[in-house]
Amino acid sequence: MTQETRIIESTWDLTAYQFKIEADALSLFVKGLKDRKILGRKCGTCGTVYVPGPTYCRKCLIDIDQVVEVSQEGRLDAFTVSLADVRGKAVDNPFISCTVKLDGSDSFLMGVLEGWTDWRSVKEGMRVKVVWKDVTQGALADLSHFQLI
Amino acid sequence: MGRNVAIISVGYNGRFISKRPDINIPELIQPAVNNALGKTKLKPEHIDAYVVGNMHTFEGVNQPHLWASDHFNGSGKPVMRIATGGTTGASVYQAAYYHVASGMYDVVMAIGWEKQDEGDSQVGLMGILLPEAFSLFHFGPDTSSDRGIAGLGGGGSTGGAAFQAMSYLTRANAGIEHIDRVAALMRSNAAKNPYAHLQQPGCTEADIAGTPIISYPLRFGHTCPTSCGAIAMILVSEEKAKKFGLTDRVAWVKGLGSGTSDATTGNLIEGQITDPAEQQICKITAKKVYSMAGIKDPRKDIQVAEVYSGFSHQDLMWPERLGLFEEGMAPKILDKGGYAIDGELPINPSGGVTSTNAIGASAMVRVGEAALQVMGLAEGGHQVKRKIENAVAHGWGGLFQFVTITVLGKTPVKK
Amino acid sequence: MNERVAVVGYKQTKHTIDSPVARERMVYELVKSLYHDMGITKDDIDTFVLASNDFTDGRTISEVFTVPRIGAYMKDETKVEADGLNAALYAYMRILTGLYNTALVIGFSMAGSEFRVPLTQSYTMDPAYERPRGIINFYSTAALQAGAYMKKYKFTDEDLAQLTLKNIRNANNNPFAARKDPGASVEKILGSRPLYLPLREAHVSTYADGACAVVLSSKKTAKKFTDKPVWIDGVGHFMDTYYVGDRDLLAMEHLTAAAKKAYKMAGIKNPKKEIDLAEIHTNFASEEPVLTEALGLFKPGSGKDVVKSGASAITGTLPVNPSGGPLGANPVNATGLIRLAEASAQLRKEAGQNQIKGAKTAVVHAQDGPGAQLNTVFIVRR
Ligand SMILES: [Zn+2]
Repeated sequence: MTQETRIIESTWDLTAYQFKIEADALSLFVKGLKDRKILGRKCGTCGTVYVPGPTYCRKCLIDIDQVVEVSQEGRLDAFTVSLADVRGKAVDNPFISCTVKLDGSDSFLMGVLEGWTDWRSVKEGMRVKVVWKDVTQGALADLSHFQLI
Repeated sequence: MGRNVAIISVGYNGRFISKRPDINIPELIQPAVNNALGKTKLKPEHIDAYVVGNMHTFEGVNQPHLWASDHFNGSGKPVMRIATGGTTGASVYQAAYYHVASGMYDVVMAIGWEKQDEGDSQVGLMGILLPEAFSLFHFGPDTSSDRGIAGLGGGGSTGGAAFQAMSYLTRANAGIEHIDRVAALMRSNAAKNPYAHLQQPGCTEADIAGTPIISYPLRFGHTCPTSCGAIAMILVSEEKAKKFGLTDRVAWVKGLGSGTSDATTGNLIEGQITDPAEQQICKITAKKVYSMAGIKDPRKDIQVAEVYSGFSHQDLMWPERLGLFEEGMAPKILDKGGYAIDGELPINPSGGVTSTNAIGASAMVRVGEAALQVMGLAEGGHQVKRKIENAVAHGWGGLFQFVTITVLGKTPVKK
Repeated sequence: MNERVAVVGYKQTKHTIDSPVARERMVYELVKSLYHDMGITKDDIDTFVLASNDFTDGRTISEVFTVPRIGAYMKDETKVEADGLNAALYAYMRILTGLYNTALVIGFSMAGSEFRVPLTQSYTMDPAYERPRGIINFYSTAALQAGAYMKKYKFTDEDLAQLTLKNIRNANNNPFAARKDPGASVEKILGSRPLYLPLREAHVSTYADGACAVVLSSKKTAKKFTDKPVWIDGVGHFMDTYYVGDRDLLAMEHLTAAAKKAYKMAGIKNPKKEIDLAEIHTNFASEEPVLTEALGLFKPGSGKDVVKSGASAITGTLPVNPSGGPLGANPVNATGLIRLAEASAQLRKEAGQNQIKGAKTAVVHAQDGPGAQLNTVFIVRR
């Protein structure tokens, strides 16, 4: 028995959707960035500090509205060194993406890590601080990167 | 709690490979169903109900079980569709368990599949965060370079996995060589599994170490392939197992659970508070499952594990989080040969997910492989020789947030 | 093992065609207010079962951001990718085993504003043959079914309009319905935009943004939550073959099989007499006679008499969709679960203006796939 198979082209059109996104957490966050502040929300019941801060606590399932400013210094958590692009081609300037827990926050913030020369010497637990763009305008880009202290 | 349930058959469509342009989705499923039936004396009419699932955005067909109904004999039968991301296959199996344990049905078939050459898995994966990623652009990210985007979405092309890997290595005081080593073991185990995708007999640590780094500490050799494949399993009540004369070569379901935390890595939308390398939800669920299964000390009572590791560092991390090794001990046990098929606690004798990953099937393949080990029916040289009383199978999914765990054993839990 | 399972709490959103809040907020507000109404917390729930669909959510693993919103953080949770009544069915099975005593079931979608339902429906069609040809889809299948029924049983366009009007009027009195059309009339329905004749725009269910949540409990724990448990006494679900040409769209044998199983479990011998009301999932008004007849509620082909006699009206002998049904609101994935909530409201005498007097037993129905390929049936009692 012979079998003939044909390939049919088709698409899943994601632009056909109009998504509504809850924006409270990021709105507050970028508002703070303009004034060079890191703002989040704190749960009055369990004390969890979310950055960016949604208007509810996922541990307690209650509304939260207490806005808190957290420190601009914190602890380097996980990180990864980008040495290649998607196709595996080595990049000229490796960079480190990292997650940081700022003092007073329970959230892991992501960003780019600077202030190192040999990436092999970077270790989880190192102290880092926030570095701002020269001009802040209330956008995610205001937070330039994290710097090893 | 509930009726005793046994897995009596595990069937595959054939070897899992990257491209099957010769067949469509229903045609991928059908051979797995026939294979599972063929290993028993059962006919399609003996199956009371079906539970099915895959990650349908990957292939671009919404609820493809509707289309495939005749191919898995589902027409004219009760059919339920379950989908939970990476854990889909295990969630399907668990739903099949509840169909039987509840007393609703006596003989149920669970089917999981993915045909990843159809559609674009990368689009499917991107789609997890698509609206959320779009929304970030409303808040003015730095789009001038890859760095700005990486800072937002996290960790280059391996996503959050590289963060998790680094975090794990730090905690376990281990190095990238341990990830290379476990990756090599999986590929060589896969060579003993006739259904595995990436089979590399005698694959060495050096072979893996020779593949390029994507995002340190993860290399190409540490990532899973995209496979086409389907798995079908038959679950029956204790009464039916006896009636079919099938109590010798079955795997009893002794414990199971499915848990969730929140979206972790990449969650800039509402603040990530959960540590993806700690895996608290895995520990909570494991504890519950072991208690249900009557397992007092998993390190002694479990003889083989099939864990879901989309990235090789997870082959080290999950056994620890499942309580099979003390935290931080996996690399040392690996170095002493404990992971091997003839080791003290074989991990993924099948070669695991880093060797074979048809997403909607993968988490069920873990259960199926654990069942085959308990039944003593693993083919092609990957059967563990030591006596197996209990096996554990695990799955993870979502944004490092879902977990499924089940314990299978030679003897059912006494009611 | 648990011997019996009940609906002990239910709540739905006020469905709209354009929700002012995002999906996550909608789900969160609904679940939180349900817990509040019931005087419970998320910690009273043993297992969480969601119903959603990655295509209708436009996201892969669409529950990633909704699970924390229902209180499932660090809890036992899973998802059914079908109508919410199937999630309730799964939760029911989970509780029967005795491993769990309580479950939260939730279905939701943004079918009103975030996506076009016919588009996501088109993705269920066989991608090699039917999708590119574009002839067979949910609409045309329903139209074929409607045309066949009308021809065979002399069910006229006016009868269909009358039936549609009954549902629109019920929806007008349902505070949760999205469709409000106080000026609806047979003439207006007959004059609405033709789609696939005999189907017109007015016959189509109202795609809406909305959610529905239900709490199920074992008999053991039910009285802790309510003194008005609604018992799930029968369930059944069956799937038909896929190709529309291979099916008998009028007989709907697989729905009948699902109903028979559910009636048998519930000990119902004569559904026409023993069932007090039906809440059924119709994507198009024309499905109502076909589905209710397959459910054994009316004699085959009696659609005309049922409309003329008003038997399926709120004041009739066997009211069908006193809520207005999906013609009032069809938030895909939640729609069948809403039927369970509406039936529970009726049996608990909480159905407001649409309350049926003395209702004790209800049949609840949900469907998936083109031409109701997969049907799920519940029998619930007070
Ligand atoms: Zn809290």
